[in-house]
Amino acid sequence: MRNVCVIAGGQSTWGLRRASQRDLFQEAGKACFDSNDLISNKNIDGLIVASAGTGRCSLQTHLAPLVAEYLGIKPESVCARVELSGASGSAGIIMAYGLIKSGVADVVMVAGGEKLHLPQCREADYSGPGSLDRDWDGAMGLGLPPLFALAAKQHMKKYGTTEEQMALVAVKNRRNGMNNPKGQFREPVDLKTALNAKTVVQPLKLFDCCPVTDGAAAIILAVEDKARYFTDQPLVYIRGCAQASAGNMTANMASWTTWEALKTAARQAYRNARIQPQDVDVAQTHDCFTIAEIIAYEDLGFCEKGEGGCFIQEGKADFGGQVPVNTDGGLLSCGHPPGATGIRQGIEIMRQLRGDAVRQVAGARIGLTHNLSGAISAHTVVVYGRDLE
Amino acid sequence: MKGISLLEGKYAVTMDPYPQQSKEFNRIHPFYENLRQKRFTTTRCRSCGWRSFPPRVICPECLSTELEWVDLPVRGRVLVVTEEETGVPAGFDPPLIHALIDLDGQLTYFGRVINCATGELKEGDEVKLAVFRVEPVPVDAKKGAVILQERVFFAFEKVK
Ligand SMILES: [Zn+2]
Repeated sequence: MRNVCVIAGGQSTWGLRRASQRDLFQEAGKACFDSNDLISNKNIDGLIVASAGTGRCSLQTHLAPLVAEYLGIKPESVCARVELSGASGSAGIIMAYGLIKSGVADVVMVAGGEKLHLPQCREADYSGPGSLDRDWDGAMGLGLPPLFALAAKQHMKKYGTTEEQMALVAVKNRRNGMNNPKGQFREPVDLKTALNAKTVVQPLKLFDCCPVTDGAAAIILAVEDKARYFTDQPLVYIRGCAQASAGNMTANMASWTTWEALKTAARQAYRNARIQPQDVDVAQTHDCFTIAEIIAYEDLGFCEKGEGGCFIQEGKADFGGQVPVNTDGGLLSCGHPPGATGIRQGIEIMRQLRGDAVRQVAGARIGLTHNLSGAISAHTVVVYGRDLE
Repeated sequence: MKGISLLEGKYAVTMDPYPQQSKEFNRIHPFYENLRQKRFTTTRCRSCGWRSFPPRVICPECLSTELEWVDLPVRGRVLVVTEEETGVPAGFDPPLIHALIDLDGQLTYFGRVINCATGELKEGDEVKLAVFRVEPVPVDAKKGAVILQERVFFAFEKVK
């Protein structure tokens, strides 16, 4: 049995950056290698690059060999780009896991990044429809925010979730992100400010929405025997993972308040990892909008359906609670370069399980990441563990 | 802020929000031809009866290519309204009013509602299909000529 470990990770500073896409990949690659003195660019045999906006925003579709050249990597097992909108980074991690598990590769870097503020600041709004069904939902003028506004309205109507509960997610994640030196936002937000902020799409207000972000991140996965050679840190294993999709165009979405594809991905990942939802000690979920974190509590099985609002209100997703969620600030604080987000989440879980996170969950042994993509149309769940059983 | 026109050429890599519709580019061109007749249509499988949306060239259930065009309701009822006040895609002007629309139980469509002021659309309102011209697309023709192909698209509007 070939076990797969994460042994290094780092990211560029995220935000509205005065830097090109390739600058950002270089910063992230260096931060990753600098995080672990025992491994260098010469030890990497495979490179997977995750980027969603690269074709549109950087006009650079053929990206992986470019990143390899800039990072001094000479891939021999795999060198390719993956795209899954906001879950591209996690898609890359899953691909690398599978290739290492199967023996195709031994030591793989997954590097994700985006330069979204190109050629002008509004580019992300302009390009939004490309991550939906462009010919149908895109031509309707749909971008991402209205989809989550719709989910929020439905969830409020069906389960009594409140705007205050959603705002509490923003307050928590902004607080968690305060000491994250690479994050886009490091200032806390209080409940009153969050509730009184300007509306983006009702009922979502400014602090309910993650920003548009330039940035990159990189993580290194290795087969266990090489991982032991290339790190003196505690080993962190990938115990299980899954991706699921259950329809893409909005007209084919079975439910806006129960994300069936997330439930499927979670069930498969838990089964592969041989754990139950209550075994998770720390989680990074896809809080692109506050409502998404609330629905994720439910569909990941941290609480019953409809109780996500109470879960945040009762502090169960905070430090000291049942399962601290988005301990590094999540998308709401760190920002969201789609190709890099899943990698940033993986790095935070690696640090939490090693015990060297900026804000540490005491004694965490099992961690989870969740990404969603497009019109809530695909979900990715990865389970990490300090132990194999 | 208005999206910059495809044809003004001012934006280096403009995003055209609308699909190609003519038979040269698209095997589901009858959808757009029907739309010009104010019909909202899709494909149904003659083999297994599965009705898809959007229209297809194969049935995603049984993979048959024996599909027929069928009409969908052109009137529906609003289930949820969301009004988008900022950050809309290229080619659209805020505010955008999006509504989840029940098309007589046949389709739950998240569609744009036009000719409607902010705050005007309510849950339970009746809406109907609205078809409009969108920017034509330039296509190469013989001997270096460029022709402009007309295009249409649709949204919904309140039944007053
Ligand atoms: Zn069929």
